[in-house]
Amino acid sequence: MQPAPDTGKPLCIARLTKSYESRSGGTLAALGPVSIDVEAGEFVVIVGPSGCGKTTLLHLLAGFLAPSEGAILVGGEPVSSPSIDRAVVFQSYALFPWLSVIENVEFGLMRKKLTGERRREIAEFHLRLVGLQDFANKHIDELSGGMKQRVAIARAFAVEPSILLMDEPFGALDALTRRLLQRELLRIWQEQRRTVVFITHSVTEALFLADRILLMSCRPGQIKGEWRVTEQRPRDVTSSASVALEREIYALLDEELAKTFGQEGLRAT
Amino acid sequence: MRQAAGIAGGARRALPFLFAAVSIVVAWQLVVWITKPEPSILPPPGAVVASFGHLIANGELPRDAAISLARVFSAWLLSAAVAVPLGLLMGSSRALERIVNPFVELLRPISPLAWIPMAILWFGIGEAGKIFVVLIGAFFPILLNTIAGVKGVDPVLLHAGEVFGCDTRLSLFRRVVVPASMPAVIVGLRIAFGTGWAAIIAAELVAAQSGLGFLIANGMDVLRADKVLVGMIAIGVLGFLFDTLFRFLQGRFGYAS
Repeated sequence: MQPAPDTGKPLCIARLTKSYESRSGGTLAALGPVSIDVEAGEFVVIVGPSGCGKTTLLHLLAGFLAPSEGAILVGGEPVSSPSIDRAVVFQSYALFPWLSVIENVEFGLMRKKLTGERRREIAEFHLRLVGLQDFANKHIDELSGGMKQRVAIARAFAVEPSILLMDEPFGALDALTRRLLQRELLRIWQEQRRTVVFITHSVTEALFLADRILLMSCRPGQIKGEWRVTEQRPRDVTSSASVALEREIYALLDEELAKTFGQEGLRAT
Repeated sequence: MRQAAGIAGGARRALPFLFAAVSIVVAWQLVVWITKPEPSILPPPGAVVASFGHLIANGELPRDAAISLARVFSAWLLSAAVAVPLGLLMGSSRALERIVNPFVELLRPISPLAWIPMAILWFGIGEAGKIFVVLIGAFFPILLNTIAGVKGVDPVLLHAGEVFGCDTRLSLFRRVVVPASMPAVIVGLRIAFGTGWAAIIAAELVAAQSGLGFLIANGMDVLRADKVLVGMIAIGVLGFLFDTLFRFLQGRFGYAS
């Protein structure tokens, strides 16, 4: 019943920077310059220490913020404002508590010219995809954190976006729920291929999910390292190849952490 | 199961209230026994209960209660019809808030009771004057809670709204801001009903031919303390019941967060 899954659109980030006016009147560079090319259907995970500007980057991609310099192109079109073509999964779920589970999934479909029946069908399909078909009429408050995030994932996939932006989506979940949802996300993504930009501070999560891992430096965030992960999915993050890669990523990440601590006036020893 | 637990929980919550009510009656009876006041100053609880039955039986109490409630309800609804939309707009528009807020802050400290003489001068002692007083009493709690509700909407919900299809300010307002502020609006409506209930009694004390405020003022004029107390008890019980009803509605529709 779904249209043949397309693979999303390519994303081109060109010399993107974001800076803010500081209180003293100067400018404070938060991000960049950053240039990233993401292929259509590619799963890119961006890892970085907290405060490195990765959320700023995601907000720029979503269109919540305007860049100071540079450009973001999705399928060749410049990004200027938020759009359902770039669906976002938020760390804090951001579900609408006055709507039922299925109404939340339908929310993004309202703007598309669909009959109510068709809308319901699409929403039900995506709820089934995340295994929550029996919770369609529940209230958001009745769900656990993991279930809420599954609803948010269903909402994001339901609008058939070109790009899926995920802002530490599993950061607030316990380790086991997180593990489960990583698997579910991959399963859904393999069924309904989209371009994904996924932000996390977990190297293990990146190793498990990514086609390509990008490491961000501390503020102002820039791309410091890049690794292509070729291992077949589902991956075993305890394999010797994964562990070797993990060690390599941590070596660079530790340098950045040391700098972050330095910036905060602490000594990393 | 769940329902039984609900009933047990309800009983547990009701128990302290029952205890308070019984304590008040016991203390009252003790005072009467010890000080032996004139019945026109402080009648014993038994006499008030008898009077209560009498005033219900002859229809006086139900009629006055219904009149007071009708006044409060109509004024409260009118107030909400203005204050909720205005509050939603003021919460969303900084410019509008800057213009309107000084009016609010200058008028708000004037108690609705202070408007009673003006209401009588303008509207006489008919219905309009009383509705006017309640309207003022109910207005500010609704307005201020609504503004706070709009401003307190989680920014991440606004982002989610923008991403998932609200591409104009109006659609974001309609589909996210308004429903997200509803819990705060309901709180405002509940508080406003309480202040409106206090205001109507005061207005009826001063200028009315009916209503619970009139009932107790009339009781005072004819030295019938039992009648005054019956009116006071009715005011308390009705106020409490409506507050409880609103709390229930708040629990049903006020969803957490």
